[in-house]
Amino acid sequence: MNAVTQIAVPSPVRRETPAAVAISIRKLNKFYGGFQALRDIDLEVGQGEIVILCGPSGSGKSSLIRCINHLEQHNSGTIRVNGTELTHKASDVAQVRRQLGMVFQGFNLFPHMTVLANCTFALRLALRLPAAEANDIAREYLARVNVQDQAAKYPSELSGGQQQRVAIARALCLKPSIMLFDEPTSALDPESVGSVLRIMEDLAATGITMVCVTHEMGFARRVADRCVFMEKGEIVEEGTSDRFFSAPSTARLKAFLQQVL
Amino acid sequence: MPEMGFVQQLGIGALMTIKVAVLSYLLALAIGTAFALVTLRRRLVVGFIWQVYASIFTGVPSLLVAFLFFYAGSGIVASLASLVGLTVTVDISPFAAAVAALGMVYGAYLADLIRSAIQNVPPGQFEAAKVLLVPQPATWLLVILPQVLRLALPGMTNMWIVVMKDTALISLIGLKEIMAYAKLASGVTKEPFIYYVLASVFFLGMTWLTYFVSRRIESWSERGYKPVVKQEPAHAL
Ligand SMILES: Nc1ncnc2c1ncn2[C@@H]1O[C@H](COP(=O)(O)OP(=O)(O)O)[C@@H](O)[C@H]1O
Ligand SMILES: [Mg+2]
Repeated sequence: MNAVTQIAVPSPVRRETPAAVAISIRKLNKFYGGFQALRDIDLEVGQGEIVILCGPSGSGKSSLIRCINHLEQHNSGTIRVNGTELTHKASDVAQVRRQLGMVFQGFNLFPHMTVLANCTFALRLALRLPAAEANDIAREYLARVNVQDQAAKYPSELSGGQQQRVAIARALCLKPSIMLFDEPTSALDPESVGSVLRIMEDLAATGITMVCVTHEMGFARRVADRCVFMEKGEIVEEGTSDRFFSAPSTARLKAFLQQVL
Repeated sequence: MPEMGFVQQLGIGALMTIKVAVLSYLLALAIGTAFALVTLRRRLVVGFIWQVYASIFTGVPSLLVAFLFFYAGSGIVASLASLVGLTVTVDISPFAAAVAALGMVYGAYLADLIRSAIQNVPPGQFEAAKVLLVPQPATWLLVILPQVLRLALPGMTNMWIVVMKDTALISLIGLKEIMAYAKLASGVTKEPFIYYVLASVFFLGMTWLTYFVSRRIESWSERGYKPVVKQEPAHAL
């Protein structure tokens, strides 16, 4: 009887065998001058997988994210995004960036454009959509992140949380299959953090692939399929979020979790 | 009382002043923008050319530069042309010498101004445009330029006023602008006060007009930015 129930109820581990690989990183090294910021990074992210990157400041989390969308050039190793290898060739970079949406810690909204114009800008200039169509798409995503009422305002007239949600909408407008987040809530006041995390949770449930650097461990526990712990430019430990938080195997992760939890 | 004939001449001179000032400033903007862009990244050869250019044109008084262009200009052009095997004889007019001198001198100042404005645009703005796949020309024109303009406007306004006032010196190379006519009228009528006052009123009027227009442009360029308590623009050099 007991055995039957065990077979009937599959283990709660989500997506143990991802259907396809979204991001594949092999032996990635990144130097700033003589300083090595990333050392032999191996990481695979499946399609639809939610991966959280954490680690102390200066451990190379941003560098890793920024190498994936070529805001930093990697020095060796390979990065593949949905099958395309990211070389330093402009056409490859564009091909890879087309798959990716990026959300920065500091929002990086265009301050002289309204919220709506921020969202339609790339649609009109990169995808060359007519204004009406671009507006429709932008309004749809602004509604998804709950800032539809602010469309005519300028970013500086919005709270930090609203600005970050606009930045998320702006990235989503280009319909990326993978979203990269670099500490999206670190620049926010505590009241705003929740609103942004809720949007990201909703987003995670849509089946989009996410790689997210964050110190919000509660959020990580709720949404992550996998957590990756980095230190000094290396991946020290990774695992499903359950194992990661309840049974860390390395002393360094244990120490880190004790600090942030 | 000023004589209408001389006042009319002052008007013609004023138009010439405006023409020289506007053309010099446009040339300065072009030179300044070009140098600002090519010196953004530290590159040895370009950096060296810039250093030489900047030290000459910010070190030598603009009037002297105008004299050099006016008196030695045809020689300079001829010898440059002979380097590539051409024989060219050009007459440098006072007008051309004035525009070239003021344009090149203030181009050197504007280059510094524009470069530092570009460097003060947060790098995140370039990065956001990149990840959004916005083509480079559109990024520069629609994302960076408006922010550069906002940062550089106060300095650019002052520079315009300085250029305009410097045209008064250039009368010394024989350019028939407002100062030249004021001097002429004063000499003939033996009433220097009235014509110099009129010329001064012209420059004052232009300065006021400049501040009025620049306020407008500034408040437009500040769209989207939180209003901050701003200092009055510092007086031009
Ligand atoms: N542009 C850069 N130039 C030089 N060093 C850098 C640069 N960016 C990051 N670094 C260094 O690389 C290391 C990793 O940085 P980063 O990836 O930002 O870490 P994290 O995001 O985990 O805080 C740090 O020691 C940092 O000082
Ligand atoms: Mg970081």
